[in-house]
Amino acid sequence: MSQRSGLPFWPRHAFWQGVALTIVAYVLFDWGIPALRFVGIPSAPVPNSVVVEFMFIALIGIFMYVSENEARWAEFKQPIQSALVNRDKKWLRSSLLVVLPLFVGFMTFESTRPRVTADIQPRSIHPAPPTSITFRNKTIQLAGLENPLRKQGNLEDHMKEGRRVYYQNCLPCHGDLLDGKGHFGLGFSPTPLAFDGGNLPLLTESFVFWRVAKGGPGLPKEGTPWNSAMPVWEDFLTEDEIWSVIIFLYDQAGFKPRAWEAEGKEAAHE
Amino acid sequence: MKRLARYTLTLAFAVTGATQLLAQGAVTGTVKFTGAAPANPKIDMAEEPICKAKYTTAPTDPVVVVNKGGLGNVFISVTSGLPAGAKAAAPSTPGTIDQQGCLYHPRVFGVMAGQSIEIKNSDAVLHNIKAMPKKNRGFNISQPTAGMKTMKTFPVAEAAVPFECNVHGWMKAKVFVMDTPYFAVSDENGAFSLKGLPAGTYTLEAWHEKYGTKTATVTVTATGGTATFTFAAS
Amino acid sequence: MNRATAGRYGGKAAGVIFGAALLLTGFPADRLSAQDVQRGKVVYDKWCMGCHGETGLGDGPAAKFMLPPPRDFTGAKYQIRTTASGELPADADIERVVAEGMPGTAMPEWKSKLSGAEQKDVVAYVKSLSTFFEGAQPPAVVAFGKAPGGGADAIADGGKTFEKLECFKCHGMSGRGNGKSSPTLKDDWDFPIRAANLSQNWNFNGGGAVEDIYRRMRTGLDGTPMPSFSDALDAKVITDEQLWHVAQYVRSLSPEESPPAVREVIRAAPVAQGAALPAGPDDSTWSRAEPSFIPMVGQIIAKPRWFAPSVTGIWVQSMHDGNKLAVRVSWDDGSKSPDPAWDEWMARLVKSVTDADGALTPAQGPDRFWVQFPKRVTDEAERPYFLGGNTRRPVYLWRWASTPDASEEGTGTGLGRFAALSGASEMTHAASFTDGRWHVQFTRALVPADTTASPTFGVGRAIPIAFFAGDGSNGETGARGAVSAWYAIYLDVPTPPTVYVMPLVAVLLTAGLGLVVVWRAQQQNRKS
Repeated sequence: MSQRSGLPFWPRHAFWQGVALTIVAYVLFDWGIPALRFVGIPSAPVPNSVVVEFMFIALIGIFMYVSENEARWAEFKQPIQSALVNRDKKWLRSSLLVVLPLFVGFMTFESTRPRVTADIQPRSIHPAPPTSITFRNKTIQLAGLENPLRKQGNLEDHMKEGRRVYYQNCLPCHGDLLDGKGHFGLGFSPTPLAFDGGNLPLLTESFVFWRVAKGGPGLPKEGTPWNSAMPVWEDFLTEDEIWSVIIFLYDQAGFKPRAWEAEGKEAAHE
Repeated sequence: MKRLARYTLTLAFAVTGATQLLAQGAVTGTVKFTGAAPANPKIDMAEEPICKAKYTTAPTDPVVVVNKGGLGNVFISVTSGLPAGAKAAAPSTPGTIDQQGCLYHPRVFGVMAGQSIEIKNSDAVLHNIKAMPKKNRGFNISQPTAGMKTMKTFPVAEAAVPFECNVHGWMKAKVFVMDTPYFAVSDENGAFSLKGLPAGTYTLEAWHEKYGTKTATVTVTATGGTATFTFAAS
Repeated sequence: MNRATAGRYGGKAAGVIFGAALLLTGFPADRLSAQDVQRGKVVYDKWCMGCHGETGLGDGPAAKFMLPPPRDFTGAKYQIRTTASGELPADADIERVVAEGMPGTAMPEWKSKLSGAEQKDVVAYVKSLSTFFEGAQPPAVVAFGKAPGGGADAIADGGKTFEKLECFKCHGMSGRGNGKSSPTLKDDWDFPIRAANLSQNWNFNGGGAVEDIYRRMRTGLDGTPMPSFSDALDAKVITDEQLWHVAQYVRSLSPEESPPAVREVIRAAPVAQGAALPAGPDDSTWSRAEPSFIPMVGQIIAKPRWFAPSVTGIWVQSMHDGNKLAVRVSWDDGSKSPDPAWDEWMARLVKSVTDADGALTPAQGPDRFWVQFPKRVTDEAERPYFLGGNTRRPVYLWRWASTPDASEEGTGTGLGRFAALSGASEMTHAASFTDGRWHVQFTRALVPADTTASPTFGVGRAIPIAFFAGDGSNGETGARGAVSAWYAIYLDVPTPPTVYVMPLVAVLLTAGLGLVVVWRAQQQNRKS
């Protein structure tokens, strides 16, 4: 074995470089990419099939690198060759002959054994609102609609009324903390919306009015989930009660509702 | 019923002892009851054979105790006529309440603020004793065996502090915590005796758990005085 | 911690005040403490008032929309304390409840919302709502000691002491909160209150660990019927070790995994070749089926809503034999309804819970349980509306009621809209009620006679399933009751032999290939 100066033995050796690169590539694909969200870059777990595909490409690259010149190729092959033939590597050879087949067998079992999963229920949080709704036989135009209570009466009174409405109706699911974890919240699927996240400021009050008034059953056909437990509140609450609970909600959560844009058109809800 | 009388008497003696020093006029009187006394609710003690065995006839909850036209378990106290701020030291002997046959004995009694109350269990079953005063701190303790005794004290005067047992939902008692020693509880015949009142004119109040309160004015001389209260069936 | 906070509030809080008005008039309160109270009021008015009310009477707008109701602070009665029964709580006791919440109630944890300082401030304010804290010395904290070793002997001893102390009078012999006294239980405000179901320690108001249980027995839960057992220790009726053993015994009544994990899929295992499906709900075969825990919550979506459900969770087991599917559901219930012993409970319940959506009557109904499937099992992602389906996508229902003990199968097109299937029911049921627990077994053929009227339970696929439970002694009639979301039931197929053969082939192939490679390499090495 060569004793070139500089770096210690392992990082310089072509075989171990190959091994290290393979491991680094796998760690990057399987853990590195999903971990990007911790530094603020949106990401998601990489599906296994994609990891396999990436690894295949990575391996080709690594192979091209180790076979780039004769010397390196020989260096790369040397430990493999020695493991295969050398008398003093007999134990390593035998272990590999046992461990490798078992590993392959285990992987095969993992991929063929039956697994049980429920169907994934997709979720679209902000479906597009209709331009108008019928609220207790009265047509309400949603486009451009402002909360009428903000220009009428006393805001404090609306807030107080909204608090009453919230605590008597919304609390069991959406919770004291507005975190969607009320004492009944976890019994429903999908779980109730949290208001302390980033949703409220993205929505106009008219959108919230529509979602409250029509609830889960009023979601448009393309707007999953269909099993939202959100009641149809027009069956329980008056128009003013809903507008007041919306005032309370934004105040309690510490957000401002999204304003209609100057031309009176709302940017598409994501 | 005899037992009840005995406990009431015991208490009366305790009160007497406490007030003997004053040795002044005694107000004696009767709490009368007119009309037909309602039947007391039956208590089903099937689940508590140890208590049930202590009764020869089916036990009832003695809400209304009427004998010879007199109403028992009425708490009588002085509401006005005493010198302002009149206070007396609490006696060192405790007031007692016993749990016997899954009922409280006595059902109504008074102690002075700061006087000890001895809570005793004579039943070989679990009782919890929950006191629910408003001005004093309450408590909820357990007495799982016969013979257990616990001492408790209420430092502040308060009327009709409810005592109850949650294991036996029917068990209820009322404790009056008083600033003065001038109080009494009518016995099973409605008779009461309020000792040690200095000469003067007083307003007495009689309290019954079902029929509320009645007041009477009494003038006490060196030879004492008499007062009569009349409750009517409702 | 306790000493420090006690010094901060207790010793210095000579003037505990009722509100900002008094503060402004120059009430001679300690400055720091007064500011705490003032800041605490801001927190209280924003976050606590909705339940506990403007003046702390426990009468906020939400008060009648939950059971147990919010606590009245004016009497300074606190359930979860480290002090003796009737004593004021230590500041740390109230702080703990604020931070951690009270499991089994609507009181959430606040530590994720309020800062440490805000939590302390709100505690200072809450204390100011009661005159009892005025000038009060910090209360003595009970020395609890440490738990002795557990184990089977300790638990067995705890079981004996449990009987000796007659805990079963309220909690029931199996600890399911169904003791003889349970229907008469009320709190200090005459609200109906349940004896804790000791087999669901995740709902214990003060925590479900052995230490928590021991502490509750030592201090009692003030304001509730649960007394302190410290006097029994003082009177040497039991030893401290025995009381610890009771705590260990009580803990053992709940599952190891607490709260039980909720899994989306209920597995219906195939019975062994030639073996029969369980004959009834008490068949010992059921002990071999893995139970799945399904949380249940109040039906608060359609009129009349129900905010005080009695059933908060059920256990589901399932098996099939290739021809029939058997599903056993088990849940705890204090009574076989209707039961006159529960009239007293009903009378209190009617006064305590809102009747906003329609009059609540004290009349009892039967206990009920419904199992719901889609009427048609399809590959579409869209399932029927979970709350009883609708006309566009109906559900297939099994409905059982306790009195008379009867069941029916039919089609649901919305909660309460039900049409029984024509002809004799293909679903059969058997129910048993033992010591506060219902077991109901439903059995039906995998393939129904009319596959257009009810679904086929195909093996090897996840079939949506949902549940409804109603306790007739808890006012749960009609749409009032507890519901679940959709879950799935999966009828396992016997594992195909390829699952085992394939890995074996892979092992042999790899080993063979390896040998060839080694052999070739050595041959070449020898040649060179």
